[in-house]
Amino acid sequence: MLLHYFDLSWRSFKRTPLVSSLMVLAIAIGIGVTMTSLSVYHMMASDPIPSKSSQLFSVQMQIMDDGNTWWTKDNLPLQLTYKDATNLYRANTEGNRLSMVRSGFSIYTDSDTVKPFSKSARMTTPEFFDMFQLEFLYGNKWSQQQEENAAPVVVISEELNERLFAGENSVGNIIYLDNESYEVIGVTKNWPLVVKYYDLNNGAFNEPESMFLPFSLVEAREFGNWGNTNGWKHEDVRSFKAKLQSEMVWVQFWVELNNAQQKQDYETFLMAYMEEQQKRGRFNRKELIYSLRDVNQWMEYNNVISEDNKILVALSFMFLAVCLANILGLLLAKFLRRAPEVGVRRALGASKRQVFLQHLVEVAMLGCFGGLIGIVLAQLGLWGVRQSYDYYSSIATMDITMLLSAPIIAITTCILAGLYPAWLVCKTNPAIYLKSQ
Amino acid sequence: MLKMNNISKIYQTEMVQTHALKDFSLQVDEGEFIAVTGPSGSGKTTFLNIAGMLEPFSEGEYLLDGIDVGKLNDNQRADVRNQKIGFIFQGFNLIPDLNLYENIEVPLRYRGIKAAERKRRIEQCLEQVGLASRAKHLPQQLSGGQQQRVAIARALAGEPRFLLADEPTGNLDSLMARQVMELLEQINRDGATIVMVTHDPELARRAPRNIQVVDGQLADFTLYQGAQNLKNVAGA
Amino acid sequence: MLEIKPIFHALCRSKIGALLLLLQIAITTAIVSNAAFIIEDKVSYLSQETGYPEDEIFSFHVMLFGDDVSSHQQFELDEAMLRRLPGVIDAAYISNTPLSGSGSASDFSINPAPEPGLSARTSYFFTDDHALNTLGLELAAGRNFNESEVIVTDNNEQRANVTIITQVLADELFPDADALGKTVYLGDIALKIVGIIKKTKGPWLKDSRPDSVALIPYINPNISGNFIVRTDASQRAKLTSTIEDEMLKNYDKRVIVRVRGLDEAKESYMAQDTLMMRMLIVLITILVLVTALGIFGLTLFNISKRTKQIGTRRALGARKSAIISYFLVENAMICSFGLILGCIAALLLGQLLMQHFSIAALPTSYIVGTAIMVFVMSLLAVFGPARRAANISPSIATRTI
Repeated sequence: MLLHYFDLSWRSFKRTPLVSSLMVLAIAIGIGVTMTSLSVYHMMASDPIPSKSSQLFSVQMQIMDDGNTWWTKDNLPLQLTYKDATNLYRANTEGNRLSMVRSGFSIYTDSDTVKPFSKSARMTTPEFFDMFQLEFLYGNKWSQQQEENAAPVVVISEELNERLFAGENSVGNIIYLDNESYEVIGVTKNWPLVVKYYDLNNGAFNEPESMFLPFSLVEAREFGNWGNTNGWKHEDVRSFKAKLQSEMVWVQFWVELNNAQQKQDYETFLMAYMEEQQKRGRFNRKELIYSLRDVNQWMEYNNVISEDNKILVALSFMFLAVCLANILGLLLAKFLRRAPEVGVRRALGASKRQVFLQHLVEVAMLGCFGGLIGIVLAQLGLWGVRQSYDYYSSIATMDITMLLSAPIIAITTCILAGLYPAWLVCKTNPAIYLKSQ
Repeated sequence: MLKMNNISKIYQTEMVQTHALKDFSLQVDEGEFIAVTGPSGSGKTTFLNIAGMLEPFSEGEYLLDGIDVGKLNDNQRADVRNQKIGFIFQGFNLIPDLNLYENIEVPLRYRGIKAAERKRRIEQCLEQVGLASRAKHLPQQLSGGQQQRVAIARALAGEPRFLLADEPTGNLDSLMARQVMELLEQINRDGATIVMVTHDPELARRAPRNIQVVDGQLADFTLYQGAQNLKNVAGA
Repeated sequence: MLEIKPIFHALCRSKIGALLLLLQIAITTAIVSNAAFIIEDKVSYLSQETGYPEDEIFSFHVMLFGDDVSSHQQFELDEAMLRRLPGVIDAAYISNTPLSGSGSASDFSINPAPEPGLSARTSYFFTDDHALNTLGLELAAGRNFNESEVIVTDNNEQRANVTIITQVLADELFPDADALGKTVYLGDIALKIVGIIKKTKGPWLKDSRPDSVALIPYINPNISGNFIVRTDASQRAKLTSTIEDEMLKNYDKRVIVRVRGLDEAKESYMAQDTLMMRMLIVLITILVLVTALGIFGLTLFNISKRTKQIGTRRALGARKSAIISYFLVENAMICSFGLILGCIAALLLGQLLMQHFSIAALPTSYIVGTAIMVFVMSLLAVFGPARRAANISPSIATRTI
């Protein structure tokens, strides 16, 4: 029976090709536009680390004296001072934690074939790889011992390994960063990260760094910060040592807390730490404030999805509503005009339900065509987005969820639009149409 | 009133030329009531369309009330139709979205008649066809005969001097057909010239003058006399 | 001649089709007026005057890794080399490229820290006496830096003591007096204002104070440095392609990155806004087309439904123009109701956007403009089908189908 309905639908499509094509076009355009903005939104909003996103917390502390303000909505600085990060890292608390900053170097090797180039690097404590689930292709991360000793070791990305060592196992090789030699101890597998959630300071959609080095090297070798450094009060900072002791914030700090108890314990610990610091003359404020935000909260807090994107998605759905009204109007016209034929069918014994179903199958078919063409249009739209803004190159794509959603949204929209016309047609009295004409 | 000289109408399709009318000549005088009969495909409808200026003709000359129709442009033809011709169609052709009053108002509006005058005429015409109480009804709420009476009222509202009726009773049962026919005769008596196309010889015989179209040509005038006699009998 | 009343009655009797069209027009108006407002906002942001001859300037970043030279001496040599290159008008060291989205900012105060006093957030560039010429900045008052005022150092002990600031900053810090010759403080560093420049943008066009800018004659280029070069606009492409080689020829233990024109730097900073603008333009264009298509399709359908009726009207004496105007009037009526609804919806949507996002209140002129545009568009969409309707032969009336 369903097959028969499809056949009837196809005939009906061919009988009024102009209007049917208009409907398909309308739904296709609606889906194209909606899916373009929705795909971007979806990629930005999707959980980058679903298995752990609620266990990883970015730590913020209100270090500013009363009366100072920050640009965040709750006035909290986004990063920590070097001394707080170091203290928190060394404190005896449960759960993994890490301090990190972004830096960068000129790179070259002993080989003459690779021209020196520059790359950004992540200076981090070794927990990074476990906490953010990086896998190793060769070798491993540095040990706690190497971290403490500021050992000149480096973990490089698969991509960088490709460039420097043609993809060979490079563990044990030496690379030069700003003229100093470092031993490659590990190569990480490709890390397809859409949102660089672990450090949102310099653009949420940039590629992850391609080198990882012990955090302790920052102090030992006075590496410059490639991220943001922000001060909030006047300090005479003329040397790197002074910067490490200053109230400037420039270090990111994350903790991994696996259950509510651990989280509560950590909160208690943070409060105690701040109270202790207050006794030493810091945190000059009435109320001590800290914040632990998990990955998704952190992304939300940092406005990973920009205002523009949200507006676009909202407008696109309104656009889809226009297309729905459009299709509804055309369907109404098309179906009602066919009422005489339905009259004949009804007289020949078709039940209301059958007539209703037949028409719904027809609109679903229109929706399906529209959805498929819509995917093509959305791909075109996303291509346009990528062309216009290469920073979105990893975001302006459709993943499988979105690919499947497109026809589903299209068919749902069409069926929504078709319900009323189909109902109208099937409830008409067949006798009227049999009598006249 | 109406004068056709050697009118031809050729339908050109890709393959063939069809002569719908061939050297067709006819004169209708003021006040006449003519029935045009003929088998289907004979060119009756083409004649009607040309007479009503609904279609252009290929050759010949057509004068309506002294106006050379062949020389008119589309707008002028529309105006002549509006002012001089009243149409009665087989399928009534009432506009389903409009009520009776508004239906009758249609040609009057095109003529640019003022609202008050329109109202007077419409009410008068509705009165004349006996549907005054139903002015606000929609066409589908009426029977076929009533609808045709509305269509006649619409044709009359413009006070045309020339009425063209196309199978006016074609969709009606015999009782209603008779009522409509009587109405037409009344209108003719009031002074309008009527040309009625029909395939029904019974009906045709009621008209004072009959002409027959066969293969696009005027076939036979002999019936004319017969019809005249019949009328006399009917009249007596 | 306009048959408003009967058309209205006829419309009332086929409500749903009209209602849907009305709804489409209303939503379209709401979206288009709001989107147009956002677009206009983006356009004025994207096309703002920056104060620089952007197409004559390019910048690049140098990362030194060789330790056999002193970086500040090397950069001095580089500067001299750059200025000698054919086609180069001038070149300067600068801590960050203007308009590029990276830079430094701090409060400039009329009193030395930690004393409180009138202060203003200011983005500042460490550069030298060639910056004005290289960046094409015009002095409104005062003078450029002297060569002797430029501090070139590799430690943090020496400090600059003069500055050139923008008129905007001068007016803010010294609202009642001439800022020239006064002293401002960056922290506790005293800087005497020797020059005031006209409109100049800092590193961030989206900053809360993009016009509040200061130049400080101080060069302390650790291991990396940034250069700006001004050329003849026609020479720029050639120079940007050879600059890496020229720099490496001078000294090769370094990496040259981010060689790009000032306009390119600006474009990449603004790319997201450009994208939003483009997407919105595409969105409203397609939206208007879809709505027009809807009107077009529905009118076409109405006409085919009413073929007989139109033939009858023609037979009854309607001129072609009367048929066209029938459909135009019918559409205008639906459209007018749609637009009334649309204006209300536009205001509501505007309010909603204002509540949730940092968008200003939607000016009425946008709604009115959109309404007029939608109205004209709908008439255009109807006109084609209406003309087709007018060409329906009156002989349809005598056909029995």
